[in-house]
Amino acid sequence: MSDNAINKSSIKRNDTGLKVVIYIVSVIFAIMTLFPFVIMITNSFRSTFEIQQSTLGMVSAHPFENLAKNWNEITNKEFHPLVGFKNSFIISTLSTILNVYFSSLTAYAISAYEWKLRDAFNNMIVGIMMVPGTVTTIGFVQIVYKLGLTNKLFLFIVPAIASPMTVFFMRQYLQASLSMEIVQSARIDGAGEFRIFNQIVVPLMKPAIATQAIFGYVASWNNLFMPLILLTETEKKTIPVMVKLLNGDIYRREYGAIYLGLFVTVIPLIVVYAFLSRFIVEGVALGGVKS
Amino acid sequence: MKKVIASVLSVAMVAALAAGCTTTETTAPVQTTADNGNGGETETTAEVAPTDETEETMPQYGTGSEVINLWSFTNEIPNMVAKYIELNPDFGTKYTVKCTIIATDGGAYQTAIDSALAAGGDSAPDMYAAEAAFILKYSQGDMCQYAATYKDLGIDVDTKTKEAQIAPYTIDIGSRNGEIVALGYQATGGAMIYRASIAKDVFGTDDPAEIEKIVGAGSGNWDKYWEAAAKLKEKGYVVVSGADDMWNVCEKSATQAWLNGDQVVIAPEREAYLDIAKKLKDEGLSNDTGSWSEAWYADMADSNVFCFFGPAWLINYVMIGNCGGTAAGEGSYGDWRVCTPPVGFFWGGTWVLANKDTKVKEGVAEIIEWITLDTSDTGLQYLWANDLMGNGAKDTVASGVVMNKSDGSLPFCGGQNIFPAFIGGNANATGKAMTQYDESINGYFKDAATQYANGEIDRDAAIAQFTENVQSQFAF
Amino acid sequence: MTFTLYPILYTFFIGFTDLAGAGNMSPHLLTTDKGGNKPLFDNFVAVLTNANFQKAFKNTVTIWTLNFIPQMAFALLFTAWFTDRRSKVKGQGLFKILFYMPNIITAATLAILFNVLFGYPKGAVNDILLGLAKTFGVKKDLLASDPNAWKLAISYDFNNNGTALKLIVAFVQFYQWYGYTMVNLIAGVIGISPEIFEAAEIDGANRVQTFFKVTLPCIRQILLFVLVTSLIGGLNMFDVPQLYAGEKKANGAVMTLNMFVRSQGLDNRYLYNKAAAASVVMFIVIVILSSILFYILRDKDEAKLKKLRKQELKALKKGM
Repeated sequence: MSDNAINKSSIKRNDTGLKVVIYIVSVIFAIMTLFPFVIMITNSFRSTFEIQQSTLGMVSAHPFENLAKNWNEITNKEFHPLVGFKNSFIISTLSTILNVYFSSLTAYAISAYEWKLRDAFNNMIVGIMMVPGTVTTIGFVQIVYKLGLTNKLFLFIVPAIASPMTVFFMRQYLQASLSMEIVQSARIDGAGEFRIFNQIVVPLMKPAIATQAIFGYVASWNNLFMPLILLTETEKKTIPVMVKLLNGDIYRREYGAIYLGLFVTVIPLIVVYAFLSRFIVEGVALGGVKS
Repeated sequence: MKKVIASVLSVAMVAALAAGCTTTETTAPVQTTADNGNGGETETTAEVAPTDETEETMPQYGTGSEVINLWSFTNEIPNMVAKYIELNPDFGTKYTVKCTIIATDGGAYQTAIDSALAAGGDSAPDMYAAEAAFILKYSQGDMCQYAATYKDLGIDVDTKTKEAQIAPYTIDIGSRNGEIVALGYQATGGAMIYRASIAKDVFGTDDPAEIEKIVGAGSGNWDKYWEAAAKLKEKGYVVVSGADDMWNVCEKSATQAWLNGDQVVIAPEREAYLDIAKKLKDEGLSNDTGSWSEAWYADMADSNVFCFFGPAWLINYVMIGNCGGTAAGEGSYGDWRVCTPPVGFFWGGTWVLANKDTKVKEGVAEIIEWITLDTSDTGLQYLWANDLMGNGAKDTVASGVVMNKSDGSLPFCGGQNIFPAFIGGNANATGKAMTQYDESINGYFKDAATQYANGEIDRDAAIAQFTENVQSQFAF
Repeated sequence: MTFTLYPILYTFFIGFTDLAGAGNMSPHLLTTDKGGNKPLFDNFVAVLTNANFQKAFKNTVTIWTLNFIPQMAFALLFTAWFTDRRSKVKGQGLFKILFYMPNIITAATLAILFNVLFGYPKGAVNDILLGLAKTFGVKKDLLASDPNAWKLAISYDFNNNGTALKLIVAFVQFYQWYGYTMVNLIAGVIGISPEIFEAAEIDGANRVQTFFKVTLPCIRQILLFVLVTSLIGGLNMFDVPQLYAGEKKANGAVMTLNMFVRSQGLDNRYLYNKAAAASVVMFIVIVILSSILFYILRDKDEAKLKKLRKQELKALKKGM
């Protein structure tokens, strides 16, 4: 009895020490994390020349005048926030949905069924992931221009169906947390394969789907180089492509407007992230096999 | 717990979105007041304003049936087209100019335009813009076969360039085998931009003519300039902000191109930059800044820096904003003068090209001629030089004729007419010893010079390092 | 699938051709027959013997190692802290959310911010250096006689020094990705059945034991994913070094393999064929290194099971 008590109190003391360390380290990292966001916001309220003199400077003396000016500068150029947001939303939302749904499906097919060439298929997926993308972009750009497919949003949506990285993650996840017994018993109960997938496997994969959806959404939203080359009409441009246009000439950069543009771009991303992160934050209870 | 987080985040979101709304409000005060009486309706105004925009998002001008595709990397040329149609409504009823604007970021503009030119077809560009950094590729290099000569467009280019006194370096750069395929509107010949008060303190005069003698203007060498630098140093001043400032001058004054076939050639004017960078650093003759850095911008305010080297755009778009004031006596505002530099150079600029396969030759020719060769008071260059295009800047242009009849007096330069110094700059600049790879090769050379100046490597190693880098990168 | 596969096959193909020059779209296979004077593997030989390719290879490995070790260490540490069932850290949800946030900012933005942090002669880090030097009286005499020269003597040109550049780039890379790695690992832990942890608790395992003996083995599959993707991402590293310094600064101190490929294929001479050959070499390296990871982290039981099943099948077939 007494032995146990000592043990408990020492754990407790240990606990406070550990917790102090955890909080100190976490707070330092949290501050580091917030730093770029703070700069983005404060610089949206500063003029280009104030920023050129010192990017990490204090809040300006005329914050709202500057903000108005930066906003004017933004809207003067080819910056149409509503159009940009609409296109970005379409691309990111649809591609993310396709990405996670089809990746989960593929991953499930790889993990739960035995079929010919399964291992070969799996290896191919992992292999594709390993091909450096730079040169393939050149080939892709040339095909798109040759076929006259520029300015089509589907270019950035449809390929999401086959995204090897997500399939790989989903498969790894399923191998650790899917027990075939549940699937078997569902089959015995007479559930169809698609029903099993949609009603048993998908809920099980919630945390995995949430993380991959976050990554997919962020990657798609921030995707710049290809949209820059392939979406050339203003009606089809995404929001980051529009922000890039604010750069204008190297001689003549409106930094205040650029920071405002970056800030405006990141807001929806934070909203989506805040929504999806629920599934990661909620913790242990959510995932797991409720058998 | 999760509720706390959710509420914290949602509050943050609402605050952020509210900030977004206020911005719209502040830009729409005119509309709000016009809404007479509806004081509470500001938010509706804010919502309505952007919707109006979406209806005409595609930057296209004119209503005609014939389409001209214009590709550019900023809205500068599209705005010119809009102005042209405003001045010549007939053009607008005949043609529609569709503008495609792509940022130059990471080579995106070049990749897109290369693919579009190679693919051809109806949506291929009829008219496109190229910046100094990559114009050679489109006028003389890999992509030059797509460019139409101005002659083929039906422009009497030989006579007109002479009549307009177009800056010779812009013609050199825009010519393919002696035939003009590209011309600019802006001329970016450089001047020496110096502080009058420092000149008075050290040399006893701030008169541009006197200062030109003191620094050896137009001499083609730096001897007198270094003498002046030593005198400045005695009084606690530095001659320039950093070695970068002198790089553009050395680079553009070279008499030999970087490459001769597969061989890397270092022109003496460029090799001299190694010693210039070292001297500035070792003798403390500069503030050791890099261009476009915070320290460099800070030196444009009231600092210990005597001069900058640059074209008119440097004054208009960079120095005026960073001088620390908006009226004489504040910061360095009004204390700057311009004069001819010891060595001639240019820096930047935009050229206009036409696709040889264009189906709307006449229309393209009409706009290009108005932009690059029209010297009348309604020509683009006159409007550009006299701040009639809404740039908020009096910029220098390619035509000497237009420059001579325009007024370039700037309160920033104490009311001095800056154009004469730049006419000299445009005439002294040369565009002959260039290759389409200069932008890239310059980067390697500048880095080697910095390493040498910083004492990381010796002079021979710097040259060896530079040569090796170019050879491996270009796979010669 | 065609969208994915065609460009990949295209890459492999043009590695063996003469395709080069902006706008050129007609590749010809290299050959020594019929008047051709270049052997099929010419591009590969050229790339492998290219001094800048070799430099890029070394840089990539160095920078990747410098960011990978702390990235994994912190990601694992935070995972352990924030998934510990016993000492529920207050606000862990908020920390989890925050730590991923650097990943949603673009590399371009981070590059600008860190560039001004380490600016020379004016920048936040140099301001701190100058403050310290003043306090401790470094080079006092110079400060008195020529404050300007003193300032230049004390401040450090980080962005033109190879070692400093490598460390900064590795740090930014770490900063951008540790949260991503952590989120992946946490998702893995959430997927573990709670009963396993309960069982461990009942068995009297302490925190450290639980993490190493229960948590880590259970998320082995996810760990493999994290390691392999980080390897692939690391060898393809591009945006941060490119936007922070480019391939020329400090004699190419942070030129990575992907930057080399990009500058060969999308810049200067548009040597698509050399860029493709370099990509194929990168691919081979990635495959080899990943295979090693797969082998080390393989599921030994599963592998055995597979073998057994194959033998059974064989036996069955023979019997038939």
